[in-house]
Amino acid sequence: MDAGERGGVSAALLPRDEAELVAAVAAAAAAGTPLALEGGGTKAGIGRPAQAERSLSTRELTGITLYEPSEMVIGARSGTPVALVEATLAERGQMLPFEPMDYRPLLGSEAEPTMGGVVGANLSGPRRVVAGACRDSLIGVRMVNGRGEAVTSGGRVMKNVTGLDLVKGVCGSWGTLAAFSEVTFKVLPTPETSATLVLHGLDDARAIKALSAGLGSPFEVSAAAHLPGTVERVPKTLLRLEGFADSVAYRAGRLRALLAPYGSSALLEAAQSAVLWRSIRDVTFLAEPRGEAIWRVSVAPSRAAAGVAAILDAAPARHLYDWGGGLVWLALPAAGDAGAAVVRAAFAGTGAHATLVRAPAEIRAVVDVFEPPAAPVRRLTAGIKASFDPRGIFNPGRMYAGI
Amino acid sequence: MQTRFSPEQLRDPAMQASEKILRTCVHCGFCTATCPTYLLLGDELDSPRGRIYLIKDMLENGRPATPQVVKHIDRCLSCLSCMTTCPSGVHYMHLVDHARSYIEATYERPWHDRLLRRVLGALLPHPTRFRFALLAAYFGRPLKPLLRPIPAIGARLAAMLDLAPSRIEPRSTMEGPAAFRPAAPRRARVALLSGCAQPVLKPSINDATIRLLNRLGVEVVLPKGEGCCGALVHHMGREHDSHAFAARNVEAWVREMDGEGLDAIVITASGCGTTIKDYGFMFRDDPAMAEKAARVSALAMDVTEFLAKLDLPATARATGHVVAYHSACSMQHGQKITDLPKTLLKAAGFVVKDVPEGHICCGSAGVYNILQPEIAGQLRERKVANIARTRPQVIATGNIGCIQQIGKGLADAGNPTPIVHTVELLDWAHGGPMPDALAEAGFADQPERAPAVAAE
Amino acid sequence: MSAIQFPAPDASILSRRAEIVAALARLVAPESLVTSEDELRAFETDALTAYRRMPLAVVLPSTTEEVAAVLRACHAMGVNVVPRGAGTSLCGGAIPQEDAVVLGLGKMNRVLDVGFADRTMRVQAGITNLSISAAVGAEGFFYAPDPSSQLACTIGGNIAMNSGGAHCLKYGVTTNNILGVRMVLVDGTIVDIGGDAMDAPGYDLLGLVVGSEGQLGVVTEATVRILPLAEGARPVLFGFDTSEQAGAAVAAIIGAGIVPVAMEFMDKPAIEICEAFAKAGYPLDVEALLIIEVEGSDAEMDAALARIVAIAREHGVRTVRESKSAMETAAIWKGRKSAFGATGRVADYICMDGTIPTGQLPLVLRRMDEIVKSYGLRVANVFHAGDGNLHPLIMYDVNDPEEARKAEDAGNDILKLCVEVGGCLTGEHGVGIEKRDLMRHQFTQADLDQQMRVRAVFDHGWRLNPAKVFPLDGRWTPASEAA
Ligand SMILES: Cc1cc2nc3c(=O)[nH]c(=O)nc-3n(C[C@H](O)[C@H](O)[C@H](O)COP(=O)(O)OP(=O)(O)OC[C@H]3O[C@@H](n4cnc5c(N)ncnc54)[C@H](O)[C@@H]3O)c2cc1C
Ligand code: SF4
Ligand code: SF4
Repeated sequence: MDAGERGGVSAALLPRDEAELVAAVAAAAAAGTPLALEGGGTKAGIGRPAQAERSLSTRELTGITLYEPSEMVIGARSGTPVALVEATLAERGQMLPFEPMDYRPLLGSEAEPTMGGVVGANLSGPRRVVAGACRDSLIGVRMVNGRGEAVTSGGRVMKNVTGLDLVKGVCGSWGTLAAFSEVTFKVLPTPETSATLVLHGLDDARAIKALSAGLGSPFEVSAAAHLPGTVERVPKTLLRLEGFADSVAYRAGRLRALLAPYGSSALLEAAQSAVLWRSIRDVTFLAEPRGEAIWRVSVAPSRAAAGVAAILDAAPARHLYDWGGGLVWLALPAAGDAGAAVVRAAFAGTGAHATLVRAPAEIRAVVDVFEPPAAPVRRLTAGIKASFDPRGIFNPGRMYAGI
Repeated sequence: MQTRFSPEQLRDPAMQASEKILRTCVHCGFCTATCPTYLLLGDELDSPRGRIYLIKDMLENGRPATPQVVKHIDRCLSCLSCMTTCPSGVHYMHLVDHARSYIEATYERPWHDRLLRRVLGALLPHPTRFRFALLAAYFGRPLKPLLRPIPAIGARLAAMLDLAPSRIEPRSTMEGPAAFRPAAPRRARVALLSGCAQPVLKPSINDATIRLLNRLGVEVVLPKGEGCCGALVHHMGREHDSHAFAARNVEAWVREMDGEGLDAIVITASGCGTTIKDYGFMFRDDPAMAEKAARVSALAMDVTEFLAKLDLPATARATGHVVAYHSACSMQHGQKITDLPKTLLKAAGFVVKDVPEGHICCGSAGVYNILQPEIAGQLRERKVANIARTRPQVIATGNIGCIQQIGKGLADAGNPTPIVHTVELLDWAHGGPMPDALAEAGFADQPERAPAVAAE
Repeated sequence: MSAIQFPAPDASILSRRAEIVAALARLVAPESLVTSEDELRAFETDALTAYRRMPLAVVLPSTTEEVAAVLRACHAMGVNVVPRGAGTSLCGGAIPQEDAVVLGLGKMNRVLDVGFADRTMRVQAGITNLSISAAVGAEGFFYAPDPSSQLACTIGGNIAMNSGGAHCLKYGVTTNNILGVRMVLVDGTIVDIGGDAMDAPGYDLLGLVVGSEGQLGVVTEATVRILPLAEGARPVLFGFDTSEQAGAAVAAIIGAGIVPVAMEFMDKPAIEICEAFAKAGYPLDVEALLIIEVEGSDAEMDAALARIVAIAREHGVRTVRESKSAMETAAIWKGRKSAFGATGRVADYICMDGTIPTGQLPLVLRRMDEIVKSYGLRVANVFHAGDGNLHPLIMYDVNDPEEARKAEDAGNDILKLCVEVGGCLTGEHGVGIEKRDLMRHQFTQADLDQQMRVRAVFDHGWRLNPAKVFPLDGRWTPASEAA
């Protein structure tokens, strides 16, 4: 059966099971047809415009294949909506630890984000600082490589070092290495409650110091962000605590005392806290105006504020910090190179890397969307691409030209 | 680990004992991490596990030792840190002892090495000769710059001169053979090892011990015929010599045990203590000596072990000084005495600090600092730096070798902190005179408290 | 034992030994090159001592540049290289082969840089796991993954094996705690992978390198995450009459939304062995013991423990004993962490490392016992209960070839069982040579081919640690692809 037969010649390929996925990829490989791989397509606007002839979506490959709450593990076909997985987990008081962000507010996309997309983009959210990103919770992947071969890596157990860890290799590969058919995660119990400590009026550098002090304390800060003057009237420095109620109350008190040198603080209750962190996770603060370019910079927190200051000197930018200062979101005018030169120069030599998350396609076609790697890493990157997808049929050029 | 010994080889009791030790080693490598030489050199061959492997190979093949094997075994400090670490209970000490005597029996050392070892072996265990040698060294010191460049042996000769104290202590007034009776009613009778190098280098240690024990009602004898415990030559693999020394001591003490009786054999140098406690093993196959040696080992005690049994009274003066306690390897690894000395010091009012990396040797290790001056020097610097991190007013330890070695390191670093034997501090706190080292460092003596009035 | 084969040494390399040694001698100091037969012997094995192979030579470089020079030279001469950290691998990962140079990282054991504000630290690859924590302990930080061998094993080895430990239930394994590495590729190229930011651009090369068993490159430096130490930690001993009860208690604790820092299981033989060594006060009158550790302030620990104890009581716990002092805590963990070594007092052993879905625990424990008994051997079980990572220690006499073979067969049967119930061959020790020939029980040829293709991107000539991980037959190479 050929998944491509349904819905006309140029419509998306929509395989409904792994066998169809294998067949679709094998056919494209044989014909040398470049494919735009996607799940719900909500993040299609990220990356260089792919040079594909056809799209292949896994959104019909749905269903939870495994859920063992007492083993803290869940598996789902790659097209399963994130919302369904989260709801299923919530019924048993569990969650995806890495708090995957939802790009729809920022990108203005609709449709349903899928688990395959979460893996392809290696999503995470504010809890990244303690629970890692998608790649840290992902324990198993079934996928189809660019030869049309079904390949499994990892499995359903939490600890597994058998063979090369391809699970990590394909997580965050933006659909350029393999089409996922099924993904398996370890999960965690949802904390009983949460609260957020808010400090007011700190400048960026001091705010990041406060966040570092909190994250370096024994009080298990589970998220640490700063909303500076460019997005909030009064800058807000935020530290989240989660856990059993008695423990959260105790730690909030201790954290407050620890951060007293940074001024007095307020405490947000669970409900308010949840709303706030959702907006930070999805960067809704920068969503409007839609015309602006959005950058995402990953950097060691102690070097974040200086880089941002250099950008603010050179361009009218708005920004916010997550991950204790380790993640900077920036909105810049989309004109010219969308601020690429300014952003990359500001962080040059700091070990940071910047990704252009939102910009018109014409700009993404000419600007490096992902930080260009050093020569030896680029060689390895090209090699890995070829090892999975020798004919270059998956999202060609989406990450780097020629890859 | 798997071993490959033939039944003939295993007929030799020493080989049999070593085979048993080798079989318990699971090659897990834990011991490498706490071995001073591995820490410095990062070479498996200079780690306990590597040495065990070299020894295994050497013994299994029954071949004469090669220079390569000798090099790595010679670098071993016999600090026994590896034994403390080993979860499998591998008795490295007995294994390396066997290897050393095997090396002495099968390997011809270069002439300079032989000479040096013979000189050390001839001098150190004999107080009179040693005192004379120190005098010679004292006058030889100006020659040091001339010695150092001599190939093969210059560095070691220089090290030897370096370690000789800048002052020759007068002989103690309390030398044996003799018995020192307490003024107070006698509650115990012990023999005190007078030893060899210590009474020459620091007679004050045993003097303090005798005073303190007497004050506590303990009679102290220094029996006739007792002397060097044999450890110094033992570590050079000279089994024959070390057994001779040991046998003499065993006889001397057994005479006392069978005569007026002994409650303990008290030792103030933990290096000697480790060896004496092992006499039982040393003579296990000697029908004439086995039982006597075992009796001696059973009675042997570090001075702190004996003091801990005595239930010490309140101190006679206020102390409160910050003391960095350096646990000698022979104390913590050889005899597994870890907290006792610190407990005694604390009870005597001192503020006791643990030294970071406390499990790592200071590089003294018998005559190691003369035979392997480079490694010993690096370990000494590392130790002195670690001690300094605790910001002590005084350093206490229970082994003469460490006192000399660390003392040299302190002097090199321009660090004026005095180093003394634990028992000297205890004696002081309990009414003895202030140790000289403290006086020289400018400490003010503490007045004795008024004799305790009967409780109201 | 001899069941596991090594590739036949390349005679042309062996015959050029003198030339190869001379080339290496030009690159490093004499003290850093080992060539005599006597001395090479000490490098012939790791913690899987049943297998041994003499290397061609051993080099102990002191800098990344020296590592690069050595690799470049070996590459030019077509010589295999086996990286080695502390040689504590339990799967034979660091065992050499006759035609290979061992590249030991033991001399590269320094801390390079600590960034407390960023909670990162840069270290050389040969530093021991525990030294990393020790270097920042006074400031209230630690490096989280804690293999039982942490005293001795190196971070380079941990990265190669993606090592785990008792506290990984909460803090994750090596791959979750490394931010970047400096690595030398087989041809001597120095690359920086990852960095000190939370995530890195492009493909997750770091994720591929961690767990690659020394086959993708030689790691010379690592940037690791350091975490703040909890206010307090308290292990509690729970004794049960049956393993089933203990297993059910573990599932119920997780089901109740509690993830302790550590949950370790020991069966009776293991309890006896460890207690004899550590005198930790483990109960000797129970069949199964759980060590469960909680962290936080005293009040938090009390609250968490109250919940856990209540659940344990529902599952028939017989004895509950809390650590009352730092010394007791140390003794409790010392006993657990010394379990393998302490077993050495009793017998030789091989240690398995399969992982299973925790729901299969009762079945697997029973089947394992049957398997081992069917070979007439004994087994002691210690394992990480929270994540199903089993460590059966099969006891045998290594000087008895017949028993050695049986032990190996029993081990293989156990690992196959782990795969059958949905688990894997190895949870944290790695494949090495030990599990190499079982790989086809877990993976299809397509799975393995894809792994080998990625491997070839880094080392297309199979020069780095080539005897390991992938079955010797059916190896993928660019040439085999073309054929
Ligand atoms: C008693 C005992 C208990 C143990 N407990 C645990 C445990 O709880 N959890 C656990 O996960 N493991 C455990 N192990 C296994 C072992 O300690 C780990 O696998 C450890 O990570 C190995 O580190 P190492 O430095 O000894 O590496 P080695 O054994 O020297 O080498 C291991 C592998 O790493 C490669 N390698 C080493 N250094 C580098 C480098 N710099 N670059 C590239 N490759 C390199 C080698 O080629 C080899 O393949 C235990 C081992 C023992 C003996
Ligand atoms: S720790 Fe003990 S068992 Fe392990 S290698 Fe060292 S001596 Fe052998
Ligand atoms: S005795 Fe000391 S120096 Fe010798 S091997 Fe053991 S730990 Fe190393």
